Amino acid sequence: MEAGAAVDVRELRRVFTPRKREPVVALDGVSLTIPAGEVHGMLGPNGAGKTTLVKILSTVLLPTSGTAQVLGHDVVEETRAVRPLIGIVFGGERGLYTRLSARQNLEYWGALYRLPSATIKERSAALLERVGLTERADQRAEEFSRGMKQRLHLARGLMGDAKVLFLDEPTTGMDPLAAREFRRLIAELKGEGRTILLTTHDMVEAESVCDRVTLIDRGRLLATETPRTLGRLISRFQRIDVTGADEALLAEVTALPGVSSATRQADGSTRIEVSEEGATAVVLRRLVDGGVTDLQTSLPSLEEVYVQTIGERGLGV
Amino acid sequence: MRAFLAGARVQLRFMTAYPDSLIPFFTSPLFTIVFLLVFKHAGRPDLTAYAAIAPVFIALWWLALFNSGWTVTMERWNGTLEMLVASPSSFGAVIFGRIAATTAIGTVSFFEAWLVARLIFGTTVTIHHWGAFLLTVVATLAAMAGTAVGMAALFVLARNAVTFSNSASYPFYVLGGILVPVSLLPHWVRPLSDVVFLSWAADLLRATLRVGPIHQFWPHLGMVVLLGACGYAVGLFALRVILVRVRESGELSTT
Repeated sequence: MEAGAAVDVRELRRVFTPRKREPVVALDGVSLTIPAGEVHGMLGPNGAGKTTLVKILSTVLLPTSGTAQVLGHDVVEETRAVRPLIGIVFGGERGLYTRLSARQNLEYWGALYRLPSATIKERSAALLERVGLTERADQRAEEFSRGMKQRLHLARGLMGDAKVLFLDEPTTGMDPLAAREFRRLIAELKGEGRTILLTTHDMVEAESVCDRVTLIDRGRLLATETPRTLGRLISRFQRIDVTGADEALLAEVTALPGVSSATRQADGSTRIEVSEEGATAVVLRRLVDGGVTDLQTSLPSLEEVYVQTIGERGLGV
Repeated sequence: MRAFLAGARVQLRFMTAYPDSLIPFFTSPLFTIVFLLVFKHAGRPDLTAYAAIAPVFIALWWLALFNSGWTVTMERWNGTLEMLVASPSSFGAVIFGRIAATTAIGTVSFFEAWLVARLIFGTTVTIHHWGAFLLTVVATLAAMAGTAVGMAALFVLARNAVTFSNSASYPFYVLGGILVPVSLLPHWVRPLSDVVFLSWAADLLRATLRVGPIHQFWPHLGMVVLLGACGYAVGLFALRVILVRVRESGELSTT
């Protein structure tokens, strides 16, 4: 266990063995350390192993091998020590008692976290205020919009004053405004010193709120870096969008060292992708020398890192 | 204790939010009418105590078992089962609190059944041993909730706990001798009946409605408490084992 680590995972492996089917390796030798106070993004396609990792860390699933600790406590051997320290927020419609009011939901979870009655009342009111649900506090959760339910989910996850929060795709299905508001809340929680492990498909989300991002696919961690560093990792894949270049010039540019492709776009422009550092400058110089004035370079977004690293598997993931 | 109270409190809220969980309060008076009619036309007024107690036991045990299964199923449907297990509170204590609250509310069926007996048949059910009656009711409710925790452990394993819990109540009605005396059951069934707390509880409650001393009250009450405590202890142990098993298999949230 690294000093100051909120989450420490070593060679974690989880194999599911469904009846009459081949075993499925959900996590395959995952090692990861998340320092206290970090917002850590776990980015990967469906079935990558994100939720499995969250479930193991939140003590509801046992690993097949390897170890996992939360704030120094083993999630298999010391569940009693781990559980008061963590909060879990799952995305989607589920995870709430829909026929209870928002306040009743929070009060129940407060009681399950063994809080004194006065603290439960005080904290539930404060959290409802914080997530903007005070006016709807006594309304049944089943009458809430998806965004409101998600905010209630987050409030519920905070009832126990969790030091480490596991947010499993918390903005799934949220409209953009609600998602932005949700990210603002995450930033606030980080400001309070909480450690957050956020699993998501959403590149913008990972980029905007995470200190570091781990790419995971088929149970294996591919990279753990800051969003900016991950972007740099494939800066060699920088793109140049060109309009008005003739075919001969494009053919010449495509033949330059470090140029991996030139693809005609639907709007008539051509996207040139380079695959070596320094190649961009050479390509730009040749294009300008060739009389092209309409061109644009862009840095890769985290989405491109994601696609480049995990591969364009589309719906096959 | 906090987990127990948290479970009990939330269950009272659920009972108002899910009125269908109160079905026994509608069926209890109907059962009373049926049983009293049968005994009256059979010329067996001496069995009135059976007719007065059986609907209450049916209501209470149905509430305990149904809520045991329903709680597990509902937590799965809501997607809250994993979070409940991951909370610092004992899952077994929460379930115990929820079922205890349900069965406590279920005592309303005593008044329903006996009111129907009075209003429709003019039969007054008289409690001749109040102290024994109250002690037996409390012990029975605790035993029901404790045993239902054991059943909840099985329901965690079942894919459709509600169906299982519905059908699981009937063998207990027979083995508990709540309407048909255990003495009328085949000999080989009686040892089974002896380990069902309902049979001891039903005998005791009927005895409190009769004039004259209650035969071996304390030993029988002890059996109700002991069997209920055993059910709870076995339930807690089974829950612990089963929760480890479903954490291993990854089937905790499987619906």
